[in-house]
Amino acid sequence: MDEELLELQRQFEFAQQAKSSIRLSERNVVELVQKLQQLEIIDFELLHTSSGKEYITQEQLRSEIVSEINKRGRVSLIDLADTIGVDLYHVEKQSQHVVSNDSSLVLINGEIVSSSYWDTVSEEINERLQECSQISLAEIAAQLQVGSELIVSVLEPRIGTLIKGRLEGGQLYTPAYVARVNAMVCGAARGIAVPMNMSAWWSSLQVLLQDMDGFSGVAVESSFFQSLFNNLVKGGEILGSLRAGVHWTPSVLIDQFVYIHWLSSYILVYLAYMSSICQVFAMAQKKCVESFFSQNSFISYETLHKLGIPQPIQYLQSRYPEGKALDTVFVHGSLIEMLDNSVDDAVECGSWIVSLTILPTSFTPQDASKVLSFCPTVQRALKSGKAHVLGESYILSDTFVKHLFDSIQKEMENISLSGHSAVVSSDTSHDNSSNLADQDEYGNQSGIGKSAPEKGSKKKKGKSAVNVKGGSAESGMELQESTKKKQKKGKVNPGAQVSDPKSGAKKDTERLDQPSFLSEKSLIQKIMSMIPDLEEQGLDDPETVLAPLAQHLRPMLLNSWMERRKAAFTENAQQMKQLLDDLQRKLDEAFLNIQLYEKALDLFEDDPQNAVRSLLILMVLLHKHLLRTAATPIVDTLLVHLDKHCKLKNGFQLEGSQISEPVAMSSADRISLAKGLPGSLSVKAIELVETLEGKLVEAFISTARELIEESGLISKKLDKKLERTLLHSYRKDLSSQVAAESDPVSLLAKVVSLLYVQIHGKALQAPGRAISVAVARLKDKLDDSAFKTLQDYQRAAVTLLSLMSSATGNVRRRLYVGQNIEPEGAPRGFDAGVEEYSYKILTGVGSVSLHTLTGKMLVSLFCFFVVFET
Amino acid sequence: METWDPTTKSTLTQIPLLSVKAGPRDGAAWTQRLKEEYKALIAYTAMNKSKDNDWFRISAANPEGTRWTGKCWYVHNLLKYEFDLQFDIPVTYPATAPELELPQLDGKTQKMYRGGKICLTVHFKPLWAKNCPRFGVAHALCLGLAPWLAAEIPILVDSGMVKHKDDTAASSESSDVKAV
Repeated sequence: MDEELLELQRQFEFAQQAKSSIRLSERNVVELVQKLQQLEIIDFELLHTSSGKEYITQEQLRSEIVSEINKRGRVSLIDLADTIGVDLYHVEKQSQHVVSNDSSLVLINGEIVSSSYWDTVSEEINERLQECSQISLAEIAAQLQVGSELIVSVLEPRIGTLIKGRLEGGQLYTPAYVARVNAMVCGAARGIAVPMNMSAWWSSLQVLLQDMDGFSGVAVESSFFQSLFNNLVKGGEILGSLRAGVHWTPSVLIDQFVYIHWLSSYILVYLAYMSSICQVFAMAQKKCVESFFSQNSFISYETLHKLGIPQPIQYLQSRYPEGKALDTVFVHGSLIEMLDNSVDDAVECGSWIVSLTILPTSFTPQDASKVLSFCPTVQRALKSGKAHVLGESYILSDTFVKHLFDSIQKEMENISLSGHSAVVSSDTSHDNSSNLADQDEYGNQSGIGKSAPEKGSKKKKGKSAVNVKGGSAESGMELQESTKKKQKKGKVNPGAQVSDPKSGAKKDTERLDQPSFLSEKSLIQKIMSMIPDLEEQGLDDPETVLAPLAQHLRPMLLNSWMERRKAAFTENAQQMKQLLDDLQRKLDEAFLNIQLYEKALDLFEDDPQNAVRSLLILMVLLHKHLLRTAATPIVDTLLVHLDKHCKLKNGFQLEGSQISEPVAMSSADRISLAKGLPGSLSVKAIELVETLEGKLVEAFISTARELIEESGLISKKLDKKLERTLLHSYRKDLSSQVAAESDPVSLLAKVVSLLYVQIHGKALQAPGRAISVAVARLKDKLDDSAFKTLQDYQRAAVTLLSLMSSATGNVRRRLYVGQNIEPEGAPRGFDAGVEEYSYKILTGVGSVSLHTLTGKMLVSLFCFFVVFET
Repeated sequence: METWDPTTKSTLTQIPLLSVKAGPRDGAAWTQRLKEEYKALIAYTAMNKSKDNDWFRISAANPEGTRWTGKCWYVHNLLKYEFDLQFDIPVTYPATAPELELPQLDGKTQKMYRGGKICLTVHFKPLWAKNCPRFGVAHALCLGLAPWLAAEIPILVDSGMVKHKDDTAASSESSDVKAV
């Protein structure tokens, strides 16, 4: 057999023989223990753990509690019950036993605390206290989670040994902190000069302390201050009496300099805080004020406010009666004197001065002006008008201002004289001064003659034309009306507005009363250019210097300008009167004449042959002729005069009183003149011009009459007596003209006219083409021979004329047909008939030389004339 | 019958497993197998003793180790009931499990074949077959006999089929009775 097998067999045998271990269940064990206790083999109390698995004896529990306390110093019973694993009841019981046996242990609020624990805590507190200089007990208590009373009871025996500090009112302080607060209290107490309520005092100190400690600062109880204060009082460091425990009355101010130095910051705060000032501070203030004032001879109130003087003016006035109080500063007399002297200098020299530059920089403009009011020289100068104070700080001597004024005025005149071509815009052109207006008017006058003003632009051309035309059409009534208007206007806008807003140059005149070159800005510029010194002065702010000066000068300049205008206006008024008189005179004559001539036309109208076409043409011819010759000058003079009158009314000065003789004007000229007239006048004038272009003299006369009446003049009507005298003078005039006449053609016309006056008593104005008809009409009235002579003469004249025109070329057309006199619907042979007739005349006398013809005509006419006269 | 209780299972896992697959006729291999059987039995016995759960005594009845005899016992109501135990190692071992015999109980219970061979649970055979050749005699005892005793003895005692030897007044065997 295998040995190994045998060995195994043996081993198996042995294993089976081995005693098997005996095992007891927990239940059995518990039963056993119970049995033991029953049998009183275990005669002591056995405790079991909270898990129920262990038995523990009381001794073991106690020893475990002690070891736990030793380990941690402070143990809560609940924690203990947990850590040991025994029911809390037993732990409490045994803990009491333990604490009662050990005097160093205390059982508080379910905690066992050993004295060594308090020692360590105290050490910690001390460390913190040394860091923070003060700790509140409440803070500590909260941190340790114990009652503050307990803390106090624990800490009190340790203060001075473990804790280097002081316990006061629930706070722990380090000696240094206590010393500091003590010093504060002491300083404050010494600083106080009036009776003081303690609580207010403490609260302010508290605020101060909190400020110093910043956020972490702990409120110091007033009792702490109180106890410190009491100690100080007891120690005699501060003197005074304490009333009712709350009112402190300091007795004297002792040795204040010491603590001023020591606690200057607190004191300053307190001094500001309290309304009353301690003497020392007052002295310091006084010294400071004195030194500043004596050095600078002025002091600003702000400085005093900084020094803590609440009412600087009273303070200074009571101390320095010789000083003057200004708005922000207080000045000494010497400063005023200095200013006074310099102002005096400036006034004497005729210069100017800025008080602000002389005065110290801290002076405000208000102060400067006030200082000036204190200067005797300035006052005197102002009274006597030798100086002007402008812009609060500028003093200008009268001579200086006058000089300035004169120069500006001169410049103004220069501007006016230089006229439109200068920089000045057109709106200032005709209003600035009489000189300028004269110049302008002169230009316009010359413009009439030369048909265009030399210097003007297109715009000015138009304007001058308007001016000229408007002038002739003004009359007396209008003058009166307008003067009334002006007076009314004058009240509203005294002196300034001379212009009538209805007048032609409306837009321009509305701006006249405020001429642009007199505006403040331009004045400032002018002054600046004249006096560069001022410019330098006011470089930073030209308004301050120049604006007041300009404001001062402007009304004066405006006044002078106004006066000039007024003078110009009165002159104009005279001229206007003159003008209107002239116009009236001229009109009377011309108007009567035209009426006279018109009557002569009646002769042809009542003719039975009037129905004949050719005579109708004749009538048209006669009317046209009359309108052209007699009416046109009337219209021209009327328009020119009215225009001038208009201008005068607007303040223009016309050159002299002479109105230039009406020159040839086109209808366009007339229309533009008429349009230049104001309002209703213009309408009427335009109407008149239109009738002038028409074919009826009657229409013209009626419109002319209307216009004349509208413009305030009188239109004379022709009566018998007047007609006779006129006719007589006309006849005389004519006969003298005939006598003097040398031109055969015009002589014929005059002779025919004269004959008409003679025979019909009518003044006939006939154009050359109508002469033959006029001559034919005289056939019945004259004896044959005379008529024959006249006819011959007429023929001869026609021949002459035709010859003269043939010399230049076109013969027949010029003579007979004229331009377009053939009326519409004339018979076909009309033109041809005229031509034939004229041809006969021409061929009949064709052989006669021009010279002989003229001589023959003269002779025959003379004969005729002689016969006729007789 | 249910599966084995957890205690049985845990015990079974602690018995060392065998490795040699050899029957009694395999000569030297059988010797090796026998050695392993002994080792397993020693471990099982030690384990039982340490748990105060010793319940059998066996030993090889022949040198080849194919027949084993011994005793097994069970404590019920503080009385120890002890029975003879014998079994042969079958020729087809280890594929076939040994048939454990309790000859004293032959004919006393239904859970037994003729000759006192105990009836095992339905679970035994497949488990054994699955663990061939790792299971040995120790495993068969642990898995077969121990549960059988625990299940059948209380019934047999209560039914009166089995009587304690004290009651039978067999004074010669009084030393085996244990009362606690």
